[in-house]
Amino acid sequence: MSSRVLPDFELLMPKDLGEGLQLLSRHGSDVAIMAGGTDVLVMMKANYRSPYVMSLAGIGGLDHLDWAPETGLRVGALTTVDQIEQSGAVKQHYRALWQAATLFATPQIRNSATVIGNLLRASPAGDCSCAVLALGGTVVLESVDGRREVAIDDFWLDYNLTARRPDEIAVELRLPPPGKGTGSAFRRLTRTHEDLAKLNASARLDVDGKICRTARLAMGCVGPTTQRLPKCEAILVGKAIDEALLKTLDDVIQSEIAPIDDKRSTAEYRRAVAGVLLRRTISQALAD
Amino acid sequence: MTAYSTIGKSIPKIDVKEKVTGRALYAADLKMPGMLYGKIVRCLDHAHARVLKLDLSVAAKMPGVVKVLGPDDIKAHSYNTGVLDLMVPEPVGKMLGDIEDQTVFTKHVKHQGDAICGIIAHSEEAAERAAEKVIVEYEPLPVYLTAEESMQPDAVQFTSLKPGNRAFQLPGEMFPNNAYGWGNVDEAMAAADFVVEDTFYVPKQKQCQMEPHAYIALFDDGGRLQCWTSTQMPKCVHIKLARMFDLPMSRVTVTQTVIGGGFGARLGMIGEPLACAMAMAVPGRPVKVLYTREEDWIASESRHPGKYWMKIGFSKDGAPVAVDALFRSYKGGYYTQGSGVAFTTGSWLGGMYKWGSCRYHGETYYTNHAPCGAYRGYGNPQTNFVMEQLVERACSKLGVDPVEWRKKWHKGVGDDGWCPGVTYPSCALDECLDRGAAAIGWTEKRAKYANQTGVKRRGVGVSVMNHTSGAFPMLLEHTTCTARLNEDATAEIMLACSDMGQGAHTALQQIAAEALGFRFEDIHIKAGDSDSNGFDIGAHASRTIYVGGAAVKSACEDARKELFARAAQYLECTVEQLTMRDKIIYLEGASNRSISAQEICARGVYNFVDAASGQRTGIPGQIQGYSSFLPTSNSPPFAACFAEVEIDTETGELTLIELVNAHDVGKAIHPASVEGNLEGGAQQGMGFALTEEIYYDKNGLCLNNSFTDYKMLGPSDMPKLTTILVENPDPLGPFGAKSAGEAGIVAPIGAVANAVFHALGIQIIEAPITAEKILEAIKKNGGV
Ligand SMILES: Cc1cc2nc3c(=O)[nH]c(=O)nc-3n(C[C@H](O)[C@H](O)[C@H](O)COP(=O)(O)OP(=O)(O)OC[C@H]3O[C@@H](n4cnc5c(N)ncnc54)[C@H](O)[C@@H]3O)c2cc1C
Repeated sequence: MSSRVLPDFELLMPKDLGEGLQLLSRHGSDVAIMAGGTDVLVMMKANYRSPYVMSLAGIGGLDHLDWAPETGLRVGALTTVDQIEQSGAVKQHYRALWQAATLFATPQIRNSATVIGNLLRASPAGDCSCAVLALGGTVVLESVDGRREVAIDDFWLDYNLTARRPDEIAVELRLPPPGKGTGSAFRRLTRTHEDLAKLNASARLDVDGKICRTARLAMGCVGPTTQRLPKCEAILVGKAIDEALLKTLDDVIQSEIAPIDDKRSTAEYRRAVAGVLLRRTISQALAD
Repeated sequence: MTAYSTIGKSIPKIDVKEKVTGRALYAADLKMPGMLYGKIVRCLDHAHARVLKLDLSVAAKMPGVVKVLGPDDIKAHSYNTGVLDLMVPEPVGKMLGDIEDQTVFTKHVKHQGDAICGIIAHSEEAAERAAEKVIVEYEPLPVYLTAEESMQPDAVQFTSLKPGNRAFQLPGEMFPNNAYGWGNVDEAMAAADFVVEDTFYVPKQKQCQMEPHAYIALFDDGGRLQCWTSTQMPKCVHIKLARMFDLPMSRVTVTQTVIGGGFGARLGMIGEPLACAMAMAVPGRPVKVLYTREEDWIASESRHPGKYWMKIGFSKDGAPVAVDALFRSYKGGYYTQGSGVAFTTGSWLGGMYKWGSCRYHGETYYTNHAPCGAYRGYGNPQTNFVMEQLVERACSKLGVDPVEWRKKWHKGVGDDGWCPGVTYPSCALDECLDRGAAAIGWTEKRAKYANQTGVKRRGVGVSVMNHTSGAFPMLLEHTTCTARLNEDATAEIMLACSDMGQGAHTALQQIAAEALGFRFEDIHIKAGDSDSNGFDIGAHASRTIYVGGAAVKSACEDARKELFARAAQYLECTVEQLTMRDKIIYLEGASNRSISAQEICARGVYNFVDAASGQRTGIPGQIQGYSSFLPTSNSPPFAACFAEVEIDTETGELTLIELVNAHDVGKAIHPASVEGNLEGGAQQGMGFALTEEIYYDKNGLCLNNSFTDYKMLGPSDMPKLTTILVENPDPLGPFGAKSAGEAGIVAPIGAVANAVFHALGIQIIEAPITAEKILEAIKKNGGV
């Protein structure tokens, strides 16, 4: 049950990253970090309590979105989903992330929601999260003790739990540059268009001629975190992907997912369509 | 066709500016000096329980708290949020079994969200913090989520007045064998060449009006109870509050605030009793009560869900020789509109086709859901989903075109409408069917989609409906209106009809202008003030233009008559010789003799005694027209809807491609408003068919009490939508108008369901038709 009245908390508004990190080192797990607030505020209205809320809004220089062929894409902690949608570079080189951004929520939400907030929320339904897992990359975490990078494959530990330590701020997401023949895609199934995903999937394929060199497949709402599908990936690698091969994924995927049963759909339905969604996502990535 | 000056023109709606600029003041926006906040503490963790202990002592001591109130602190009668008590004579109410089973605060929780106690504090924050300190101990009771559970002999009784937890069934005194209808169904069914039959499920749909419920109440120093509310029935609330708190009506005022949508959610009372009870406890201080969206969801009314069995018998030539039906709905925790929907669901059925014989049973059982009440269509959506799918099944067995079958067998002019004995005065359904079919490309698409293969399948479906314009003769139909002419020949139209966003006040202003012969801008509608407005039963049953509009027309004609009578006296002629153009009344044939309406009005008000002659300077008295209008019919509108869908047979996902909604509106007073109402209705109808349902866990706790998980169709889900207004003026409605308020929601439901059938050859008999259900049905069918 929500309330118009937020629970009591102290608002922290650091002016720069250094101050923010200091505040975190002092108050650590008592702090809820707020970027766009589209998750945090909703949760606070529905009884989530945290003694401190630290807004990143006053920290400059966190809303960058930089692309270079050698280093890839750098997404700042305050870079919004809308910025991703508007970016020609993301559209061209990271089609999966761009597609996730265009399908994501509504314009109002996209204007404040951040990509990093989506990763940090660690929901198995996160759309940008799903695309990022397929694209591969690292999350840069910073504390007063310095920076470290955590691969996205190791980032989500459980539902709503990440590798971030309480004294760290996620300052950047880094995505590797695509190679020649890299294509990616994102798709999701929802109840209505503007909705959270029942099931989402993303694929990144590196293709040499007709042969698939590497494949990264990600799916959401089929376990406590968004997850890779290593068995399905293995089927594709080293082969020319055609309809017949794709059809075999319908069975293979069954052994690597444990779909959730929730308000948006049933585990049974998710199981029934997981293969279909995956096949379509792969075909879309091949066409990219 | 008659040439009108304002009727039929889509002039800007009178409330459009304040709404689009956000300057409209809703109840939640209002602030008053010394205002306190009332927080209703609700039971959130149980759907059925008894309160064993309520300890308010800690909460009472919290900072900012003025008063805490439990069930024993309330001095008010029990009540019923519905309004049947005002709409039928008392003996009929008794026969129908209307009861008052609600109290402000309860000790027997009958649904999640039932109100336990209240806190009055200086701020909303203080009230919320104190609410957290209320200690309640509950004894959980078994939770009943279907009629089949609550009707069991050993079930806990919701009230001693309704044995077996049956809140309502059609009373035998009025309906032999508790059924509505005619003819011998058993014989006709036995003689039928074939029958179609199924048990459907219809969902608990929420009105989703934009404005959550909000109130301010004040028991003022003069001993008057005042309530600011966006109710759609201000006069009913007026008398119901008076009765509840034992006050004469002269000591109760209801001020209607801007209504942010109603769709039935504001039919009768909702939170007014709670807000007023709190205000009575702190005389002299206004108390504001704001519902959150979730509270609105779990503590206000919704559509009646339930199981709906129907069997239709046909002869070989397609004649529908018998229809037999039982709608058993799940009432929720309180009686409220217990009799209404259970009855009307059958009326819409009976009124649609030329059934050789008809038998409808309607009953409703208490369950531990939020209570069900009124929602646009009032039983018609449920019937449309069931009846139209069965008709479709029959058409496919007969091998006849569904449009042709409907043209042949729908009722029309002279046939009995939804109420036997009241015949249809007009019907343009054939034209609706023809124009709708042409607009969607019915014949071509039916053929084109007949033999599809592949993953994506298209289908087109049709559905028809009848509705009503007001509830005559079943329920009281009455609106009073005063048309007062100002001294500058403008007019104040005073009546209690509600504008809920549907544009009623704009259309009523048009009717007034037309009837008076004044300009649109000369008219002002004064509504929403129970002190100055006379009786109006309220906005329900799609009556506002048909009945309210007729009251306005009649009051304005009354004023105009007096205006002309005075003109005749001034011009020394008869009334028949007079005409009015631009508010100047001319003596026909001698146009040099005229008098302005302004002069007549002014001389009536500024009526001096001439010093020289000792005579009055004109005909004295301010002109005031009046009408206490009671209609004598209900001119039902008809509609035909066509839908095209595409289904992904691998995922069960459905895409709405196109919807054509053709409506027999009589005459559109304000065409843009009529189209807007019908489009909005279509959005809700498609939602009923495809996505909308409140659902609960096994303990009766609501799982989707907000827009996060209750899915309505958004802008990007809407198909190409064409609304066709078929104008065939009704002989009885004001300027030929029939209703268009509720009607839009109904036919899209059957049309979408039938499009699914056309696409897949499978019928989905449980609404909403989700991807999950489609995929399962395909699987069960062994593919498509
Ligand atoms: C109406 C609506 C529709 C939505 N639709 C979608 C949708 O279609 N798809 C989807 O995936 N999500 C959707 N969401 C969820 C939400 O918008 C996303 O998860 C969004 O990306 C969160 O970003 P944010 O910046 O608003 O995060 P916030 O709410 O600010 O934070 C989210 C979480 O991340 C943490 N956090 C944020 N930034 C940092 C940081 N730099 N370092 C450490 N921790 C951090 C916060 O503490 C919090 O736990 C929707 C939400 C709403 C309200």
